[in-house]
Amino acid sequence: MDGHENEGILQCPSLQCPSSGMSTNPLPEKVSGMIMNSVSMYKHSNGADPFFSSGWDPLVSLSHNENFGGSSMVSHREFASTPYPIVLENQGISGTSHLVQYPSSSTFVELVPKLPCLGSGSFSDMVNSFGLPECSQIANSECPQNYASSKEGGTGRTSTNGALSQDDRQISAEGAVGSSPNAKRRKRVSDYNNSPVSPRQNAEGEMEKDLSGQSSDVQKEPDEKKPKTEQNPGSNFRGKQTGKQGKNASSADGFKENYIHVRARRGQATNSHSLAERVRREKISERMRLLQELVPGCNKITGKAVMLDEIINYVQSLQQQVEFLSMKLATVNPEQNVDIEQILSKDIINSRRGTGAILGFVPGTSSSHRFHRGTFQGTLPSISSTTSKYPLLPQTVLDNELHGLFQVGFDSCPAVDNLGSNGHFKPEL
Amino acid sequence: MNPRRSISSNPASTVKSRFTNGFLKALLRINRQRITSTTAYTPREIFRGYLRVKIAADVSMASAIGSRRAWSRAMLRKVRSHGRDGAQVRRMSFLAMRKRNLYGKKIKCVEEDVGCYQANVLRKLVPGGAAMDMCCLLGETAHYIKCLNTQVKVMRRIAEVFST
Repeated sequence: MDGHENEGILQCPSLQCPSSGMSTNPLPEKVSGMIMNSVSMYKHSNGADPFFSSGWDPLVSLSHNENFGGSSMVSHREFASTPYPIVLENQGISGTSHLVQYPSSSTFVELVPKLPCLGSGSFSDMVNSFGLPECSQIANSECPQNYASSKEGGTGRTSTNGALSQDDRQISAEGAVGSSPNAKRRKRVSDYNNSPVSPRQNAEGEMEKDLSGQSSDVQKEPDEKKPKTEQNPGSNFRGKQTGKQGKNASSADGFKENYIHVRARRGQATNSHSLAERVRREKISERMRLLQELVPGCNKITGKAVMLDEIINYVQSLQQQVEFLSMKLATVNPEQNVDIEQILSKDIINSRRGTGAILGFVPGTSSSHRFHRGTFQGTLPSISSTTSKYPLLPQTVLDNELHGLFQVGFDSCPAVDNLGSNGHFKPEL
Repeated sequence: MNPRRSISSNPASTVKSRFTNGFLKALLRINRQRITSTTAYTPREIFRGYLRVKIAADVSMASAIGSRRAWSRAMLRKVRSHGRDGAQVRRMSFLAMRKRNLYGKKIKCVEEDVGCYQANVLRKLVPGGAAMDMCCLLGETAHYIKCLNTQVKVMRRIAEVFST
């Protein structure tokens, strides 16, 4: 299914794009309000480049994966593993390849990109930079101030954005609403183009960037939008708003956007802030689900705070295990056959054995007895505080290991007793 | 999640194998150093040895991950800066303080998020977490947990092999 490739929510200030298979929902009057809300989306304020991608794949062969600001990128990619495929089907432009296919099962209200919101001049400029013949046609057809009428042309949007539907009469109001912020947005477009986004090789990318520029601009001026959004109270919109939330965080295909399109759910507030909040919360809950799988014994935990506590405990215990093991390795002298490094590494990598005679969840409780000499209290002070729910090895094995460990290290060390009184291990300087 | 941990399907280039190789090399190097130098079993020497091994483990783990992750970059940065200072003392106090101050500071949370306090604790645990927001922090934590698991498994196996 091309759903995976065709990710992305188009923003349609005035238009709704029902697919042939979808039961059309009349586009609410407040679409533009909603769109502005969703546009102002969600600037991911990660230290590096905030970066979300909506997959505009079919439009262009954008295959490059830029690495924008490392972690944010990666985390988005991770997030992209469960994309919300949102696709549009352009009824008008069937021949173009840049159309995104619309999943018939969904009841999305498509958001067509804001391009048409721009004044006619800018739009045709942008479209011309595109170099797509269909686009110019569309541009011409959409130039009229009455946005709704342009949509009725049915030529649909540009290649980038895909579907237009012929339905929206109601959106005409939105067109007017969207006009004033457009001026400012247009100004910002050039600024945005200079932002540190990787240069797109084709015009589509630029088109997208412009769009995202607009959206990010829109976001930058929440106060400007607010009066507009208030014009479109959520109640009307809520009633008409249907469908699942379409959200596309990132696309592995390489086309990255700086914003996420989100759609308000039925019965939910459409305030821009709440939309952004909701997206953020859902991202976080998805990550928490991932973590729940990683941390053992967290299946029945519901609740963020408890879950976070468990995660913290687990990370701490893992770190302590590493510390303990490194202490052990530091004191244990390898025998003569350690020169056979390759064999060792192969053995270690391919070892499918269980923990065997090795310490299990380390020192946990038993170590606190062993360490009564005080030597290791500094390094493993909070071991006893860790929960004992992590599996413990048989006590005897642990004892042997620990005895061995200590014998090696502290045979001839009378000074150890001196440290017994100290709470923490502080070597003499 | 396995594909995330290995660059390619070639078993020689999994995170686990890279970590194992790097760590073993470092271990053997440390052991050689220890043998050549005076075998001192003073607590100080033991502690130094422990630190070296721990840092070797962390660095080899972070190097096996590379620059793909924020936490691995942060860890490498930290180790390098600490190495530059050359302060063993600082490392020790850092270690001691790390445990002590983990829950010491209660940062006032203005968000309505319920897990704000724990998030700050988590930030101290995960390397490089201070500069992340909640969403990235959780992602990094997940990857960090996976890598810690690998590290523990490999180190356990090595200890097993060494002590037989």
